[in-house]
Amino acid sequence: MFKGRTKFIKGYLFATPLLLVLAVAVLFPALYNLGIAFYEYRPANDAWKFVGLQNFSKLWSSPFFWNSFTVTLLWVAGNVCLQLVVGLALALALNSILRFRGIFSGILLIPWISSFVVVAILFIWIYHPQLGVLNDILLRLGVVEKPIAWLASPGLAQLSLILANTWKFFPLVMITLFAGLQDVSPELLEATQVDGANRLETFRMVVFPTILPSISTAVLLSTIWAYNSFTLPIIMTGGGPLRATEIFGLYIFKLAFDAFDFGAAAAASLVLFLQILLVIVLYLRVVEREKGVT
Amino acid sequence: MPPFVASRRKRRRLGKGLIYLLLLSSSAVVIFPYLWMALTSFKPIEEFFTYPLVWFTKNWTLSQYAGALEDPKFLAALRNSILVSTIVTAVSLALSIPAAYGLTRLRTPGGKPFLVAILSSQFFPPMIFFVPFYIILSKFQLLNTISGLVFAYLSVTLPICTWMVATTFRNIPRELEEAARVDGCGDIRTIFEVVLRMSIPGIITAGLFAFVLAWQEYIFALLYTTTPAAQTAPVILFYYLGQHQIDYGRLMAAAVLLSLPVIFPFVIMQRYFRQGRGEGSIKG
Repeated sequence: MFKGRTKFIKGYLFATPLLLVLAVAVLFPALYNLGIAFYEYRPANDAWKFVGLQNFSKLWSSPFFWNSFTVTLLWVAGNVCLQLVVGLALALALNSILRFRGIFSGILLIPWISSFVVVAILFIWIYHPQLGVLNDILLRLGVVEKPIAWLASPGLAQLSLILANTWKFFPLVMITLFAGLQDVSPELLEATQVDGANRLETFRMVVFPTILPSISTAVLLSTIWAYNSFTLPIIMTGGGPLRATEIFGLYIFKLAFDAFDFGAAAAASLVLFLQILLVIVLYLRVVEREKGVT
Repeated sequence: MPPFVASRRKRRRLGKGLIYLLLLSSSAVVIFPYLWMALTSFKPIEEFFTYPLVWFTKNWTLSQYAGALEDPKFLAALRNSILVSTIVTAVSLALSIPAAYGLTRLRTPGGKPFLVAILSSQFFPPMIFFVPFYIILSKFQLLNTISGLVFAYLSVTLPICTWMVATTFRNIPRELEEAARVDGCGDIRTIFEVVLRMSIPGIITAGLFAFVLAWQEYIFALLYTTTPAAQTAPVILFYYLGQHQIDYGRLMAAAVLLSLPVIFPFVIMQRYFRQGRGEGSIKG
């Protein structure tokens, strides 16, 4: 009894410095943010006033809030779908080869380790209407007749950003699914093939059910990341043109540091946080159901 | 050989070929942006504006690099980046190693859920910290300082570092530790001679991860440094982009210089992710 107690104390004693710093650098700011959401900041005289839910109702009636709400939904859906398709295809491809697997996986992981700022610059430069290599290639091939303003036209900007972001993030999905594929039992695979199943049937009956947990995890991770995005859009479009790419991160940034409306920015960040929590709850539900089935 | 077997083999070979084609073309898409950046950075500025574009210049030049490296702002930013990343790495390891040890090796009740709770803060959107960090840093006059950045970065690196070190510690067989104790090693000696010694690769990986995260961090650096005193290299690149006449040559050269230091850690970390199932790979 006493021994267990000292063990308990000793373990946490080792962790105390870390926990203190985390309390100051993570927990306190997060709670502070929660409080700020119910206050109004007056930059003129540097004063705070309690306003209850007014910040939230202000957001609710703001067209810009709803604009970034839909832009974010499109952004998340586009990114998650595209990353899943690309990541799954490449994970399956890597899994079905042995020669050069190390080289290919090494190359395909490069975007993941790339810095956001560098990725943003790479793609600004590629998408550049006059000096960009993408238009250069398309013009040379005769696909288009005049240069396209990838990031400056409201219809294309979101798509161009999603493509760049997918380039950056597909490796994570790929590596998660690749890990899942290692759990596919070779015996089961062989038995199905002996039974005369073709590739598609094998995938549907054996591979897919096995990697379903990995797929859920990959979808969860890429969803959270898409919600938390900031750097690529702020550098590449700044939310424009006409707020067509103003996802939540940028909206909150502008509320806080352009309008100095700290209260509304904090409230909007809580709305973002809630959406992420919702996704996590959904994920846990799905995982539980999967466990129940098998 | 029955004909259907032959056709099946042929089809399989065709399938393999398609798979390699997919991997090759994907690799090309991954490499191309970097290749293009590198090709651009060696081009003389006049060739930027000729149309159609000059892909491979005949007049290789290092003038873009010279331009970046002669810019005192960029040099100061590089110095700040190195300083911040080094301090953040050191502090992250100093705090996370003992904590990971305490929570995994000492059979601490509740250690595992506690670690998961720490890791889960990785999922917090950075936006919930925008305003509170700003207020805290300005209260303590830490805006535009290296210490302020270190404070903000620790919120990102500490959870992931602790998780990675804890994962390494957990893989050390407990018998080894017990054997050392039987041999009369005290707590401290056991920690240093068994646990730490065996976890050096994992600890190095965690440290590199923290360094790369800090090296590439951009959001907090943008929000909390507005003067050159503490601006890091990523922020300077953004500043280059904001100028009226964007100097793309210098920008590309600076981006190349910023990417180079990541190559070495990448080679090491890649090994970790392939064997470690990417368990700790929560944050990019």
